[in-house]
Amino acid sequence: MAGLTITGLHKRYGGFHALKGIDLTIQDGSFAVFVGPSGCGKSTLLRSIAGLEDVDEGKIAIGGEDVTDLRPRDRDIAMVFQNYALYPYLTVFENIAFGLRSRKFPETEIRRRVGEAAEILGITALLDRLPRHLSGGQRQRVAIGRAIVRQAKLFLFDEPLSNLDAKLRDEMRGEIKRLHKEIGKTMVYVTHDQVEAMTLADRIMLLRDGRIEQEGAPLDLFERPSTGFVASFLGSPTINLIPGRLVTRSGRSAVVLDTGESLDLPAQRAKLDDGERPILLGIRPQYLTRAAGTLAAGHARIEANADLIQPTGTRTFVTSHIGGVAVTAELAAHDVDNSEGRIAYALDMARAILIDPSTDKVI
Amino acid sequence: MKSRSRRQLRLTLRYLAIALVLIVFLFPVYWLFMISFKTPDEIFSSPPKWWPGQIQFGNYAVLFKDGDVIAIWNSITVSFASTAIAMTLGTLCAYALARFKTGGENLAMWIISQRMMPPIAIVFPLFLIYVWAGLVDTHAGLILLYTAFNLPYVIWMMRGYIEDIPLELEESALVDGCSRWQVFWRVVVPMARSGLMATAVFTFIFAWNDFLFALVMTRTEVITFPVQLTHYMGGQSNFWGKIAAMSVLGSLPVMLTVAFMQRYLVRGISLGAVKG
Amino acid sequence: MTARYNRLSTLIDRNFGRIAAAPAIAVLLAVSLFPLIYTIVVSFQNLTMLDSDTSFQGFMHYRAALFDTRLWAALGHTTLILVIALPLEIILGYVLARLFLEQLPGRQVFVALLVLPTVLSPIVAGATWRLMFDVRFGPVGQIVSWLVGEPVTMLWTVNPTLVYPAILICEVWQWTPFMFLLLLAALSNVDQGQLEAAELDGASGWRVFSKIILPAIRPVLVIAILIRGLDIFRIFDVIWVLTEGGPGTMTETLSIFTYQIGFVQFDTSYTAAISIMVVLALTIALTWALRRVEALK
Repeated sequence: MAGLTITGLHKRYGGFHALKGIDLTIQDGSFAVFVGPSGCGKSTLLRSIAGLEDVDEGKIAIGGEDVTDLRPRDRDIAMVFQNYALYPYLTVFENIAFGLRSRKFPETEIRRRVGEAAEILGITALLDRLPRHLSGGQRQRVAIGRAIVRQAKLFLFDEPLSNLDAKLRDEMRGEIKRLHKEIGKTMVYVTHDQVEAMTLADRIMLLRDGRIEQEGAPLDLFERPSTGFVASFLGSPTINLIPGRLVTRSGRSAVVLDTGESLDLPAQRAKLDDGERPILLGIRPQYLTRAAGTLAAGHARIEANADLIQPTGTRTFVTSHIGGVAVTAELAAHDVDNSEGRIAYALDMARAILIDPSTDKVI
Repeated sequence: MKSRSRRQLRLTLRYLAIALVLIVFLFPVYWLFMISFKTPDEIFSSPPKWWPGQIQFGNYAVLFKDGDVIAIWNSITVSFASTAIAMTLGTLCAYALARFKTGGENLAMWIISQRMMPPIAIVFPLFLIYVWAGLVDTHAGLILLYTAFNLPYVIWMMRGYIEDIPLELEESALVDGCSRWQVFWRVVVPMARSGLMATAVFTFIFAWNDFLFALVMTRTEVITFPVQLTHYMGGQSNFWGKIAAMSVLGSLPVMLTVAFMQRYLVRGISLGAVKG
Repeated sequence: MTARYNRLSTLIDRNFGRIAAAPAIAVLLAVSLFPLIYTIVVSFQNLTMLDSDTSFQGFMHYRAALFDTRLWAALGHTTLILVIALPLEIILGYVLARLFLEQLPGRQVFVALLVLPTVLSPIVAGATWRLMFDVRFGPVGQIVSWLVGEPVTMLWTVNPTLVYPAILICEVWQWTPFMFLLLLAALSNVDQGQLEAAELDGASGWRVFSKIILPAIRPVLVIAILIRGLDIFRIFDVIWVLTEGGPGTMTETLSIFTYQIGFVQFDTSYTAAISIMVVLALTIALTWALRRVEALK
């Protein structure tokens, strides 16, 4: 009903090409997240959907209706801004009612809807206050309240949590996810924080330099990135990228690191034709474990010094030098002792990601 | 102990210097006020009397009796009307300049250069046009003149104040269903409230204090208080009581507003260059 | 599909910038461009109080202006006031700003009081000093007599050696507080950390001023000089009240001169030519000055 379709969208600011042909479809009722580093065009894309930016080329359709040339007010959308955008001269009640008053709703309807929204967000007690007397989290709730009273077709969120401290951010993230379940509207969310993207999204669109680098379900992107960029953007701590060469001899493939160690790939990941090429071996920290006794299938063994051991309580991060670069392993809390020098790792080569360093594409 | 007493001494010296400065700068104002309360005998006594024997309001009474206060009334109506019009048109134009970059930087520069033109260079051409259009010595004529004269100031100042408003507030209102016109009235105007007030006060003062335009463009009907004031001066016959009383009447409103607008004073008189 | 939406309202929103700017621009054009064109036309004719000769005269009046010694003298008087008053106001304003810079009880009230002269109408300022300067009943002569120890007669607004001091005193009295206020604001924004570091390094007072304070207050200083310079350039009100340009034409400034020939002698076409020349000269000077100010930012 109220899905979002964008075709061939271009946006230029003078000589700067901010969006270079965006095509995407977001299903009705789903939660889509635009994620990417700053300057990738995600905010511009969101603002184009809202109608706050005029686009140079392409079409935007909400619920099947072409809105490309409509003003923001005619698009039936609601938006939550990064700095909350609360009107400091209006009470919380009037802030939430602002959009309803613009659309000339009757007073009783305004009272009913604002009351409901305040109830959902637990800010009923604050309705008579001015924004400057609210905490950051409360302000964020009011901003969300202002969006939901309108019962718009489409909800847009522009990095709404980036001004909150870590604890509040976790809390509000849960709240937004719950809200989406409750009201079931299509939501589009912009963030530069990959954790937010992973936890909130039904579908992630990862942007880079004005293009969609890859889109899909969060775990799809995490496990099957199409490029090295996607692989290193998602996941925390970031994926380890170790330079080496992919060597295939008579149906068996192995990664030979620059420092000489050879790591066998499991048979199902072997390449067909013989030869060798430079690659980056991508391996996430959780796929480096301690090698104990015989190796499990598909694992390769490598020894290295533990340069830095950082226990966090739940997990312990160990940094070693492998293949000439610093590599992080995420081990169970008691897997490693502070005094240990040399550690034998088991690398889960079935989960390894092989990247062509010249094209950044995953092989 | 020694450094403390030295600090004490420095503070005392500073207070003394400040007192001296204030006396020098405020004595003329004191003299003006005092004369307005003196009787003619006290005004014209040599050597001069440093304070009035008794406070009396005869000089003011004369202004009211002769109907000269009409000049104050003219100043009030003309200044109010021109301020209201200049603020409305100017703030809208400032919004266009700040948010839509209408006319680009060239238009903004042209507008501020209008402000800096010496009145004498445009007053003669204007006078010729006013004679032709029959606007000399009319309220409408003077109001139009002050409006035009103050518009560049209003536009320049309000552009600065509007640029200080977070853009997100306006965008949020747009998404929430406002037209541009509604955004202007429901977001921009309330957000720029204090800037509007300060700018209006200064616009009012500029119109209120003007002499040259009023001198050229008025004859009898819309004489403003500065022009009226000069009528009391002439050769040997100086109506000192009237001069002082009229000056005080013409200065009180300005002094009071400035006392309340102190926070905005610096930004106001520096054309927004110093945010203060 | 678009029919659901208000066409007119959309059209207004799409062009809101132009629509909002139009009325103000129209008023400005009406009051600047229209008379300017008319004046250019008149300046090439020969209109005087007695004669309404509208035939084309070429650059006659412009040429006449170039050789008008009274005009050049007026320009000289204006410059004289400018080069004395402006530096005085800046220096006095700076000294006062330093005096009021440190916090002390009652500071805000003192500042508000000190600023009073600046907000008065220049006509009131002039009238006030006329009362102050009066030869028999004014306090200035009295005070000077005390200081000298014998009675003196000072005809401030008539005596050729005293008219300029009289005008300058009034001008400096009214506008020093203006400079003071701007410089006070500028000085309060000077980085205290830098000043303390300089003090620890044992830098001399002059070095601190030229290396730290002056660069920090320069932008404000430039704006203040620009505003006040232009104001003094068009000085009219105070002189009108104190001397009316006299004695003779001794204190006739550009504004007073233009007023005299335009509104007293009704030398219409000649005044038009002079107005055009002033506008031209100022436009060039202003464009240059504003570019420089922009470059400073």
